[in-house]
Amino acid sequence: MSGRILDGETVVRLVVNGEERRAIAEPRLLLSDFLRHELGLTGTHVGCEQGVCGACTVRVDGRPVRSCLLFAVQADGCRVETVEGLAPGEELHPLQRAFQRHHALQCGYCTSGFLLASLDLLEREPDPDEATIRAHLAGNVCRCTGYQTIVAAVVAAAAELRGEARA
Amino acid sequence: MERVERPAAPARQGPVRRRRPAAGGTLHAAFVRSPHGHARVTRVDVEAARALPGVHAVYVAADVESLGPVVGALPRDDVHANARPILAADRVRFAGEPVAMVVATSRYVAEDAVRLVEVDYEPLPAVVDPEAALAPGAPQLHDDIPGNSFLRASEEHGDVEGAFARADRVVRKRFHYGRVHALPLEGRAILASWDAGEEELTLWLSSQVPGLARTLMCHPLGLTEKQLRVIAPDVGGGFGLKIQVNPEELLAALASIRLGRPVKWVEDRYEALAASYHAKEVVMDLELAVMADGTFLAMRGRYVGDTGAYASSPFTGLVDPMCAAVLLPGIYRLEAVRWEIDCAFTNKCPTAAYRAVGWSSGQAAREALVDQAARELGIDPVELRLRNTIGDEPQVSPTGCAYDGGSYAASQRLALELVGWDGFRERQAAVRAEGRLLGLGVSPFVEPGGWASAMAKRMGFPFDYLDASSVTVEPDGSVLVTTGLHAHGQGHRTVLAQVVADRLGVAFESVKVVQGDTDRTVYGTGSYGSRSAVVGFGSLARACDEVADKLKRIAAYNLEVAPEDIELVDGKAVVRGAPDRSIEMLMLGYTAYFGAFVGGKRPPDIDPYLTSTRSYDPPETYSNGCCAAIVEVDPETGVVRIDRLAFVDDCGVMLNPTLVEGQLAGASAQGIGAALYEELPYDEDGNFLAGTLLDYLYPTTLEIPPMALAHIETPSTVTEGGVKGAGEGGNVAAPSAIVNAVQDAIAHLGAEVTRTPLTPDRVRALLRG
Repeated sequence: MSGRILDGETVVRLVVNGEERRAIAEPRLLLSDFLRHELGLTGTHVGCEQGVCGACTVRVDGRPVRSCLLFAVQADGCRVETVEGLAPGEELHPLQRAFQRHHALQCGYCTSGFLLASLDLLEREPDPDEATIRAHLAGNVCRCTGYQTIVAAVVAAAAELRGEARA
Repeated sequence: MERVERPAAPARQGPVRRRRPAAGGTLHAAFVRSPHGHARVTRVDVEAARALPGVHAVYVAADVESLGPVVGALPRDDVHANARPILAADRVRFAGEPVAMVVATSRYVAEDAVRLVEVDYEPLPAVVDPEAALAPGAPQLHDDIPGNSFLRASEEHGDVEGAFARADRVVRKRFHYGRVHALPLEGRAILASWDAGEEELTLWLSSQVPGLARTLMCHPLGLTEKQLRVIAPDVGGGFGLKIQVNPEELLAALASIRLGRPVKWVEDRYEALAASYHAKEVVMDLELAVMADGTFLAMRGRYVGDTGAYASSPFTGLVDPMCAAVLLPGIYRLEAVRWEIDCAFTNKCPTAAYRAVGWSSGQAAREALVDQAARELGIDPVELRLRNTIGDEPQVSPTGCAYDGGSYAASQRLALELVGWDGFRERQAAVRAEGRLLGLGVSPFVEPGGWASAMAKRMGFPFDYLDASSVTVEPDGSVLVTTGLHAHGQGHRTVLAQVVADRLGVAFESVKVVQGDTDRTVYGTGSYGSRSAVVGFGSLARACDEVADKLKRIAAYNLEVAPEDIELVDGKAVVRGAPDRSIEMLMLGYTAYFGAFVGGKRPPDIDPYLTSTRSYDPPETYSNGCCAAIVEVDPETGVVRIDRLAFVDDCGVMLNPTLVEGQLAGASAQGIGAALYEELPYDEDGNFLAGTLLDYLYPTTLEIPPMALAHIETPSTVTEGGVKGAGEGGNVAAPSAIVNAVQDAIAHLGAEVTRTPLTPDRVRALLRG
């Protein structure tokens, strides 16, 4: 029976939301745990650690990833975007504002992942139809809302980001 | 109105698992769990685990005897109280049952140590089917409860035998409602921090019921209530799962006291799926006595619940079969009803409350029975239901439920209109000719709301409740509300503030609602059972009225009029008919607190403290409504696609329609999951087969369709403000609407739906015959 601790520690350097951060990680430390417990960025939530629920979605070098499926050392030297980067000041990001207006979160546990996944969609496709939004968000689960309000919020935020209307 | 809870709030503060204690040095717990469904434990060797660097403690059953077992029981003579060991000592009864606990410097090290614990098991025969568990010769789970039955009970109302003898036809339906999981996205989580100097324990707990958790957890830990503080901050969903007393949480608390360090346990997804709580599995045999013209006479129902290995605490697995049975009549006019229930122990995860408890399973079986009757009688199910629907007036159902008025027929008609009933049968026939399978299901329901003393007793749980809220006008006129209710997504900070703002005539922004901290709020038993709108409104209305009375008397004294001539509007106390004579709330507050200092006068005969704490224990109240669904079944793949889903809800006076719709849509989505996707299978040895989210399928954006939601408002005739409850209706009615729609799509092929979930493979098997 194996009980060996994987020895060794590595300094992991990341650019998180535009800011250089560094901390020490065991090789087996998950990126999600590194962000939350070493860097104190607790906006990233952990729902399953099985890579299914999407709650821990962040972007690494511009690509959405499950932070529970990466080791922190794998992200060494990368640019990481978390939900904290959406609204660095007091003003909410248009997506966050739309989520609030459309009642697109109840308990809020899945919200960070949905925000990152939605941001990724809208940056690549500024005017998606509802079917596209639903297909893109199918990798994130929400147990509270039934999704319709989330889809409506993304539609509204897309319009605002295109400069058409207030979300 | 829009919620005040902001997306930024969860991101910046957030659920329990993100909290760090003030004191450093948090330790982390992990559990050794049984891989077997049923086995004798012959040896547990923890020496290697204890020796691992970073491990602070490893506990086995003998180390934690002071906690005692968690006892699942009800104050009923027919219940066999069931003691669940905190850690299994000599026998494990379900896969996932904890055998030992490790506490270490990190979760990673704790899990390493878990792997170093050696446990020898001798497997025993397992039983995983509730009916088989009750049969003679079945493997026995508990030595002190022979026969594996937690409770056997029956009730008869009216002349059941006579009605069945008189009937032209007896229609029968057997239905097995599948085992599902509340599965909030945040699992169970606790951070326990013992303050040795103060001799106080603080628990940050992912809980729906901070007050109840304090009451139920303090005594096993050897503490008084005043020594225990339970903080349940932003909780990541509950749905009934986070009401229970959990061995793992008691152990984390005990470890913190013993080790003098904060101890944290955050369950992983396997633990959530295998070893928290399952729900809703009931095997039902129903019968309907009906006349040839479609008139219902009577119903009989037998409900066998599968409670799993242990009775959970405080409500036990009876929440499924008993609640299903008591609501057997639904919205139908019947002369007589008989129900009997049994609740079987099996080698599966214990069951507990999940949103809509046994009302989901009972609804699915009853409405499938009604559809079966329609087919046998050759009457359209829509017509058959309307013909037998009760009137809208308040009335007592055959099983004793005091319905407080509703829109029992109108809600069906509206749901049918929204789902596209007009011309549906023609469309169904037309597409059938093309080889396509379209079906429509209708599910009219009542939803018991405002769970407190009256409703609990009606449903067979002899408990009394105390739920309080407090309202305090502060010196500057702002309002502090505290409540023993607890929101974990519902939006209480919004809706309760609305209630108070309306009642005191102040701005919404001037009201702050505090919940989820037993040191900062008045007592209450938390939120579940569609209770918070009813209990919250009632307790706050009463408290507000007492505070308003003081405000009016102070204003009247200063304006030299009678208190009856004062009204509270727009943040002021105004003389009725003389809007220029008024006192601002700020001045009223300062007058009450400081009097002459601000040039105000305090009436000599009142206690000037502008505060009131009141409780509210509502009578039975029942929302109602109807879900209607149109589905298409793919004859090749067995995939069920929801074409349209309409939901009409009548929860009495709506306090906040946005929040009500959030509840309806979310609960309906859970119902869709239960009907089509979610399942917790075991093999015959009790091995658990759904340990990841790739096995247990949450519905996503691609499975949940847009829903047409609509409201009817029939105020309750008995509750404060006419408010009913809205939390569960979606999960009462949606599963049944979908089941009936699938059955409607494939009935002409001779296929009979008898269980959930209707996964593609199961539907394919039905179509093959």
